[in-house]
Amino acid sequence: MVEREDQAVNTTTTSPLLQMQRVSFGYRGQTLLYEVSLSVQAGEMIGLLGPNGSGKTTLLRLLSGVLRPQQGHVLLKGRDLRQWGRRGVAQHIAVVPQGLHMPFDFTVEHMVSLGRTPFAVSFWRTRGPQDRVLVEDAMVAAGVSTLAERVFNELSGGERQRVMIAMALAQQPAVLLLDEPTSHLDIKYQIETLELVQALNRERAMTIVAAMHDLNLASRYFSRLVLFQRGIVADASPTEVLEPGLLRRVYGINVQVGILRGAEHLSVLPPSRDAVSAEDEPGPATLVHIIAGGGSGELMMRALTDARIPFSAGALNIGDSDHALALRLAKEVITEQPYSPISQAALAQVRTCLAAVKVLIICPTAIGPGNLVLLQVAVQAAEKGLPVILLVSPVGTACAPDDLSTQVANSVQLFGARDYTQGQGLVLLEQLIAAGAHMSESVGEALEEAKKYIGTLLYNTL
Amino acid sequence: MKLATRPLQPPVKANRRFLSASVMVPTLAGFLLCVILVAVSFGSVAIPLTTIVQLVLNGTGLFHFERHWDASLEVIIWQVRMPIVIGAALVGAALAVAGTLFQGMLRNPLADPYLIGTSSGAALGATVAFVLPFDTVYGTFFPLTPLLAFVGALFTVLLVYVVARSDGRTPVVTLLLAGVVVNAVLVAFQTLILTLWPSPDFGRILGLFNWLSGGVAIVGWQSLFIIGFIVIVGILCSLCFASILDVFALGEEGAAHLGLHVERSKFVIVMLGSLLTAAAVSISGLIGFVGLVTPHLMRMLLGPRHRVLLPASALAGAIFLVLADLLARVVLAPMVLPVGVFTALVGAPFFLFLLRSSKRDYTW
Repeated sequence: MVEREDQAVNTTTTSPLLQMQRVSFGYRGQTLLYEVSLSVQAGEMIGLLGPNGSGKTTLLRLLSGVLRPQQGHVLLKGRDLRQWGRRGVAQHIAVVPQGLHMPFDFTVEHMVSLGRTPFAVSFWRTRGPQDRVLVEDAMVAAGVSTLAERVFNELSGGERQRVMIAMALAQQPAVLLLDEPTSHLDIKYQIETLELVQALNRERAMTIVAAMHDLNLASRYFSRLVLFQRGIVADASPTEVLEPGLLRRVYGINVQVGILRGAEHLSVLPPSRDAVSAEDEPGPATLVHIIAGGGSGELMMRALTDARIPFSAGALNIGDSDHALALRLAKEVITEQPYSPISQAALAQVRTCLAAVKVLIICPTAIGPGNLVLLQVAVQAAEKGLPVILLVSPVGTACAPDDLSTQVANSVQLFGARDYTQGQGLVLLEQLIAAGAHMSESVGEALEEAKKYIGTLLYNTL
Repeated sequence: MKLATRPLQPPVKANRRFLSASVMVPTLAGFLLCVILVAVSFGSVAIPLTTIVQLVLNGTGLFHFERHWDASLEVIIWQVRMPIVIGAALVGAALAVAGTLFQGMLRNPLADPYLIGTSSGAALGATVAFVLPFDTVYGTFFPLTPLLAFVGALFTVLLVYVVARSDGRTPVVTLLLAGVVVNAVLVAFQTLILTLWPSPDFGRILGLFNWLSGGVAIVGWQSLFIIGFIVIVGILCSLCFASILDVFALGEEGAAHLGLHVERSKFVIVMLGSLLTAAAVSISGLIGFVGLVTPHLMRMLLGPRHRVLLPASALAGAIFLVLADLLARVVLAPMVLPVGVFTALVGAPFFLFLLRSSKRDYTW
């Protein structure tokens, strides 16, 4: 234990204990995570938040080395997990799974002793007296030593959770990864489990990364929260991450956040019934709407945020890097399911947004059959008199071939290069131009143009 | 260092529900020896046990009891009965260990040694052997049927493994489904062969039927040595995987978290189990139930630790099959019944009895 703490102190000053560098991962060609970077310092306690299907579990599996990133690296003490090898990783990182189905009647002691597997010396794996001491120590630390002779399958959910933590402790890990440690548990065991995890973090300097469902428990026990939706949307302290607007956009539901009387930590509550209607008007009205995708809107959205112009964005697919960014920066994000064409419901939301804003900015995203309808809606809006700015510079996006951007080709050619709809998109763009759309070569130019329509007075007061 | 937040409860009395392994394993070994001697003494000519013990001890070369028995007895025992009984013991041990390996690795209570294609592969091999006009290859050294059954079984498992593999992973579910599919295809081939080559020789068809229903064939010592070598080496290798099988109980992902090379271990375990099964099947035909029930039985008695479970299953499987083979030879003597009949008729009710009388739930 003592050496472990020394190591922990040493690594804090040098490099992060565990690091993800631009990791992308997907199943069968569908990207689940796109260029995720995260660094975990020794001794940190990190809560991973995000709705169902946001990729939290995948992120944990990448961190534990069970899944290998398709691009990017996961580094443990500055070395790629692949170089550590399975055993090497297991000697540093332990995982507490969400639930465990045990097919056999293993006793608690036997289960915990399995945690010594990565340190077995020989194939025959006789465990020495030192292993026995460590197993005993792990059971005491997790408070399961009285259960040693009991059969795992006959324990209650909370006791099982403790046994699984004890098993992980027997690995003497530097990092403990927990996948929703409090799901399926009643309130007593939820608190007990998290108290135990917190004690491990404080007394043994163990680094903790836990996927959490319960936002309230997360705010109470974790000093750093990572809000995740196919990409990192926010990574900060609970007060910054548990922001009602952010949660509404990521989880798609209105919540209230505050400190309850007599409590020390933030609480997240569902909205009271009367509050629902009052929530309709959150903050200042949006002035600009952005149609983007595939990273094409990144610069524009950052520029608008810097200029303090409230904007809405969409419709964007979950998993698109523009979507993750929009969740953080935009006032309003219209969300579509991953890899789906834009639905009628989302289109209706886009129309509502367009009716509210003063300018529409269309970023140079690729036009495919899925998002062609967005352009149709844009044309309708433009014909009704909504000012439209077409960002023509494809620089910095992967949506057009590189060689085209170097030539000063005319803009119609540029559009054609990222049109995957056999000219239908091109026709719509020409209609937009005919309806008076302004073409901007750069983000700065577009911003200046947008400010004209918004009116200087208005945005200065904001 | 004490982190438990809950007050200490009085320690729960250790309720030892499992029999002690250090007692059970030697007991089983002793019992196996007795059963083998008893089995050898039964047959068309009853031979007193004392004679057999003396004869066998003489055979070891360490003892020299005076010969007061007929010389023909020696031939009967050494050339006829002993090979069958030893063969039965080997087959039983191999099938039981294979069953334990598959159940442990697949975490599936229904897993038996035939699950991923060994049975149909062996059956197809045997069918081909019965259809072919010659009986042996390489002189009389290798009888054709065992050889083709062995090759067929191993080849089929490899095929199943290749079919189930994708992206460098072999998920258990895919493995099981691929096994079912390949089984079906091979059974179809077998039926096709039998239909297209209607043998005028009824004896051959009957022979095939007997082989399929399982029975320890009278084999020479030479092939018995080969099979024995494969089975014993296979069982010893399996023992090395005992703690890995324990880790597999946590599931593949749990095993990976503990630093196991899951795919590599899985492949080796499947191959070991299949090798044992193929060796057994080559001399016994398809004997069901031993590989399924013996591991369950031993797990109920001794608990799930594979380091105990594997040797205990080997011994118990051997005992089980020697007894079943004895019954098959004795009940309707001089008629010899298929062993598979007895493994099912005796094993199933006994297993059900244990299952129901067991005080605690036997859970998976």
